[in-house]
Amino acid sequence: MSVSNTPSQASAKTKSKTRKPATRRQKRDWMFAAGFLAPFMILLLVFQYVPLLLMARNSVYDYSLLNPAAAKFVGLRNFTDMIEYDDASVSFGVTFLFALGVVLFVIPSAFSLALFLNSKLPARGLVRTMIMLPVVTSSVVVATMWSFLLDPSNGLINGVLNVAGIGNQPFLTSTSQALPALIAMTLWQQVGFGAILFLAGLQGLPAELTEAARIDGATRRQVLWNVTIPLLSRTTLFVVVIMTVFSLQAFAPAFLMTQGGPQESTNLIVYHIYNTAFIMQQAGYASALSVVLLLVVLGISMAQMALLRSRWNY
Amino acid sequence: MKKHHMRRAFFVTLVIALILCCFLAPYAWIVASSFKNQLTLFNDVTPLSWKAFLPVGGTIENYQSLFKRTNVLTALANTAIVAGGQVALTLLLCSMAAYSLTRVSFPGAKIVFVLILLTFLLPIEALMVPLYQVVSGLGLSNTLLGVMIPWVASPFGLFLLKQAFEELPVELEDAARIDGAGHVRIFFSIVLPNVKVPMLTLGLITFLFSWNSFLWPLVIVQDPANQVIQVAIAQQGSPTQLPNWGETFAGATVATLPLILLFLLLQKYFTQGMTTSGIKG
Amino acid sequence: MNTRNLFFASLLGATALWGTGAYAQDTTCTGETVTLRILRTPGNYPYPAPMEAWQKQNPCVQFEINEVPFAQLADTISVQAASSNPPDIIVYDGPNTQSYAAAGILLPITKYLPKGWDEDILPATKAEHSYEGEVYSPGIEQTTVAMYYNKKLVEAAGIKPPQTLQDAWTWPQALEAFKKCQQGTAGSPTVWGLGPTRFGNGQPGLVYQDLIYQRSAGDPKADPSSSAYKTFWALSPDGKTAEGYLNTPEAIEALKFYRSLFNSEGVAPKVGIPNAFFDGKACFYIDTPAAGNALLKDPKIEWGITPIPYFKTPIVHTGSTTIGATARSRHPEIAAKFVVDMSWGEYAYMNVSQRGNLPTLKSLFPRFAVYNSYPMKVFVDQLQEWGQPRPPGPKFAQYDKLVTDALRAVAFGGDPAELMADAEKKVQRVLDR
Repeated sequence: MSVSNTPSQASAKTKSKTRKPATRRQKRDWMFAAGFLAPFMILLLVFQYVPLLLMARNSVYDYSLLNPAAAKFVGLRNFTDMIEYDDASVSFGVTFLFALGVVLFVIPSAFSLALFLNSKLPARGLVRTMIMLPVVTSSVVVATMWSFLLDPSNGLINGVLNVAGIGNQPFLTSTSQALPALIAMTLWQQVGFGAILFLAGLQGLPAELTEAARIDGATRRQVLWNVTIPLLSRTTLFVVVIMTVFSLQAFAPAFLMTQGGPQESTNLIVYHIYNTAFIMQQAGYASALSVVLLLVVLGISMAQMALLRSRWNY
Repeated sequence: MKKHHMRRAFFVTLVIALILCCFLAPYAWIVASSFKNQLTLFNDVTPLSWKAFLPVGGTIENYQSLFKRTNVLTALANTAIVAGGQVALTLLLCSMAAYSLTRVSFPGAKIVFVLILLTFLLPIEALMVPLYQVVSGLGLSNTLLGVMIPWVASPFGLFLLKQAFEELPVELEDAARIDGAGHVRIFFSIVLPNVKVPMLTLGLITFLFSWNSFLWPLVIVQDPANQVIQVAIAQQGSPTQLPNWGETFAGATVATLPLILLFLLLQKYFTQGMTTSGIKG
Repeated sequence: MNTRNLFFASLLGATALWGTGAYAQDTTCTGETVTLRILRTPGNYPYPAPMEAWQKQNPCVQFEINEVPFAQLADTISVQAASSNPPDIIVYDGPNTQSYAAAGILLPITKYLPKGWDEDILPATKAEHSYEGEVYSPGIEQTTVAMYYNKKLVEAAGIKPPQTLQDAWTWPQALEAFKKCQQGTAGSPTVWGLGPTRFGNGQPGLVYQDLIYQRSAGDPKADPSSSAYKTFWALSPDGKTAEGYLNTPEAIEALKFYRSLFNSEGVAPKVGIPNAFFDGKACFYIDTPAAGNALLKDPKIEWGITPIPYFKTPIVHTGSTTIGATARSRHPEIAAKFVVDMSWGEYAYMNVSQRGNLPTLKSLFPRFAVYNSYPMKVFVDQLQEWGQPRPPGPKFAQYDKLVTDALRAVAFGGDPAELMADAEKKVQRVLDR
């Protein structure tokens, strides 16, 4: 069910047939495979690997998209600039905080929702449909919707707070509330996705295990804490990684709702890269930022694969 | 005992109602507001009234001026073309590649697979700037093809189909092979007809991804005639004028409705596709 | 088919071509058709009427128009100008001339300018569009902002806003008026004292409109090393230094006042409200002459104009969108001719009058009668007496973005000194590159 589907199956098949002179049939097979794979591989190389190399090259130049011909080789200056100036550390810091917030809230909420969906309580189907709506709604629409929900004078959320006797909150116009507001929005948007992932995990659990525990006299709560949750650690890790990677790549909220502000408090890294390249006209520096982001995401994905492949399983 | 049950039922109902409210209310508010005019739009919000969620005193002016004043209709058509094309190309390329990797043995298969595996981890957002260089270098900036082409060789799609192909028993093909059928015939007449559900699932996920994509079309297309819907509604403001809020809401409704309908119709496959693997974006 | 037939056929063809050529002057095209690609914002010039008139004189030229929203214009130009198929003509925000010239995007048009242009053009316009001795854009219009007011609301509150520059309010006087006229609770009133801008996303902080608070707290006549002098210019005259020009004691005082409008006094909203002024939901409102001309055509409300308030030195920003030919155009001669023609004589008049801003040619001013008397005269007076370009330089786009972010953060309640220090540092980093 996961990203970590290993290459072993594919290679196992090929291994048995190596080291023999190729027959005509085999040669025909190779030609066929080459032809059938070519479109996919060519596009993959052109649109994933070429940009990757370009990015690595660009990251040691200083240039603007206005005038790429005037690029100047600057060595590692773009990378030392990230240390010298604080925009990169602020932006990565904000992004990590955002990711942490999203994960911390999505995991328990999604898990509780999954438990509910896995129970025999009424309105399960309706709830499942409703929580999936934000998942299929575009981030542009969600961002637009939430800018109005969070409007400091007229927003719906302030309207609800007023009913509860709480005064208007500044939300996106406040340095302390803007990021939490974006986290709340992302929680709303992603919790359904987390919930169905957990639900799939719950439904995949061997029923005998929990039944056995119940027969042994464990309470429902004990079963939940001592059997179900540990058994779902693999799923949990998977949801954590997906939510982290998703949060690290968030763009629309910063672009449409806050322009990274106020005072860079929501300057998510992908928006910072976009802004650096297309508005600040420092495409080289933007490439260097992209290289770092890429390494961070790769690191997280690798760590996940390592963990999933380890014996953390039932 | 009975009283305890009653209280619990009440509590459960309350929680369910609250959850439904949280998810339904924003949609109801947006749709209702898209039928209201600028001056009265927020009157029901402060102080809050149930009228905020229903199109009371409705008008379709917002939709009329949205369609007249902006390129939303063109953008919807463009998005349909892009999403449709992306689905078709993704299904074709991924199934061909998956077939080669699961049914044919050839030298270098392992390297090819590792090459594909690695790209699964690349965050596309980080590649925006160089990808722009590549696509515009190919003369595809400002075109619908340029919007879809970088994503059709989808590693996610390949994994999903590869898994489905592996689960398909090889015996199915044996008879045909004995009859002397080549790979092409086996692929089209035996393998593909037996993986309809995974193909549908991949198609839906691709459609969702394509319909909702924003950053890439924003970067690669500047000509409003080739704009897609997400960018169009994000930029519907005229040069020096904020659009009326009602129009913004109408735009959001128009951009979302097709997908929601599709989702409600084919919910099972959507959910299946998403649990199969984490989609990006 | 023999050679003779072929000969006749070609002769026939040549005659036909020659025949149409005789009328080409005013109707059809001989020779090759040239297509000029224009990139502009929707509803901007060049307008259809002058373009059609021009095409009658230049029948071989066709146009292909690409329009992008203003908020995306700068990004789009930066992306398209470098692409393999750049537009021939761009309509862009005026202060960018020098950055586009420095980046090699714009074509110098000095040699295409008509005789008498130098004498007729407003000096501020010429200065703004020149870079290293060459003119890069002829400019079509000039504009600035003034403060509109809703007559009914203002009179009901017993306020009489000044109508001439001599009597202009200071900002504290203006604040009193905002407070008196505003209806409802401060912070979320039913009628705002000072309405939100219609530019950008409607949020405060735009350099064009909001940098003038602190600049007006400075003094251009003070000693050039003094903070008062630097406050007024907001960037060193050579465009190379930002440090000491934004974070000055005078600027910080002005910004504390600016911040209070959105926070402690609660007379101006932090987020955009479409059409707030035109819907009668704001007493005062800052906008260009375009708004006045729109109201003259369709008087939704009774209105008046008062000059922009100030602290010490009255100042308004000048500049507007403008037009230029691109250096990498495939038809530079024709593109330059079109650009220059559109901004000269009758064509310029057609473009300016349609849009509703001010002309930038002195010879055209008498033809705009509306600017001879109050209320619209305030704009002309302000331009002549108080007008200053936004701090120019090849890095204007970056300056604009960074300073706008800082001003917006102040409006949202941030600490002015901290934010201006930060903005100085960031602008300096860009300037030093």
